[in-house]
Amino acid sequence: MIKFHPTEELLVKYVQGELDASLCLVIGTHIDMCPVCANTVKDIEEQVARSVFINELQGSASATPAQLPEAEMNMMLEQIISSHAPEKIVREPALEEITLEGKQFKLPPTLGRLGSRLGHWSKVPGSVWRAPVNLSGHDKINLIYMAAGASVPEHTHRGSEATLVLNGSFADEFDCYEDGDFIFLDQQHKHTPQTAQEDCLTLAWLNEPLQFTSGVARLLNPFSNLFFR
Amino acid sequence: MHVMPEKRVKREYMSTSPKSTQEITTEHLSKLLAEVASSRSRRAFSELFKHFAPRLQAFATRQFGNEQTAMDLVQDTMTNVWHKAHLFSPEKGSPTTWIFTIARNIRFDILRKNKHRQNDVSAEDLWPVLSEEMSDSDEEFALDQNILLQEIGEFYRQLPDAQRIVIEQIYIQGKSQQEVSDELDIPLGTVKSRTRLALQKLKEMITAHD
Repeated sequence: MIKFHPTEELLVKYVQGELDASLCLVIGTHIDMCPVCANTVKDIEEQVARSVFINELQGSASATPAQLPEAEMNMMLEQIISSHAPEKIVREPALEEITLEGKQFKLPPTLGRLGSRLGHWSKVPGSVWRAPVNLSGHDKINLIYMAAGASVPEHTHRGSEATLVLNGSFADEFDCYEDGDFIFLDQQHKHTPQTAQEDCLTLAWLNEPLQFTSGVARLLNPFSNLFFR
Repeated sequence: MHVMPEKRVKREYMSTSPKSTQEITTEHLSKLLAEVASSRSRRAFSELFKHFAPRLQAFATRQFGNEQTAMDLVQDTMTNVWHKAHLFSPEKGSPTTWIFTIARNIRFDILRKNKHRQNDVSAEDLWPVLSEEMSDSDEEFALDQNILLQEIGEFYRQLPDAQRIVIEQIYIQGKSQQEVSDELDIPLGTVKSRTRLALQKLKEMITAHD
């Protein structure tokens, strides 16, 4: 049972296409896993579409200066009707699963469609592995795999962090998270993610590097871009 | 020259008040899209265009603050509606929503292209709306829905078990291919190929008996 979902505000921005592509990827992957949010998103789509197409014309009657002149409209209509069909968009098959430490993990379709952008795995301190999903842009997105009994040192974020549990479970000071849970944290939250008996594969989005806050781990700060590249 | 009668239709339509354009129902819009898809009806498309183009233009002008970019968005969106109406499926949502998602994707790509990003992810990767593969089974579904189940019942029983189970879950129980893949614990690709093979076989059996 999924306990943690993106806020409705985040889902609306997702539907409107107002979020960075990398954050859209995390939210889209959550939606693949979460029938509740999939339904909400359907409703939001209907509402946003209706507000765009039904209210827009009335709202804009005074707001936008000139509606398209009829002649220009008719020209566009003729152009479209005589245009060549756009190329078919045929996509390569999605990556269905990945293998890590001899274990297979299924990838939800949204993530699988971007499977070709998955970079190489590398080890970071504390029985943790990461592989970047290479999308251009400032924000970073990684698959992070924590073996059983692993932990990431206590840290906070200069920006925001979104984490989606793809498989397994991990806990921090606030709660315990399982398959499909979506956790969104900002600068105000310090936390120490760790796994217990079970390992955990997550998809993690950051818009600024992590900042380690405790003890010796502070030494890691110069390397905090371990999770941000 | 088929232009004249169409123009008359357009003008009549243009002259109606915004209030009455709102009364266009979802069913009517779906019907228009179906006519565009099945018979390339210019009349149906003109009506869709007259309904959506000014709204898209107002939306895009507000979004971009640039007339030319706004016009590009209107043209790209409506070009896709004209050529890809067959990808619309009423089970997934209303025509208004479908056209909105096309426009949303185009806008998303325009905004990212403006940042001169190379090799970038496209909106279609995040929200597949116009990809052919996605709606393959939907199209086949739409075709095959017209054939009564009783009629094909006998053929259906002749399918190999593996294919019949997949077909039963998708077309009778209404599950998605992904759900079938999860429940039967077989890869999505296998579900898709079994569906394709089964539908192909059914079609062959039906035509052989026609």
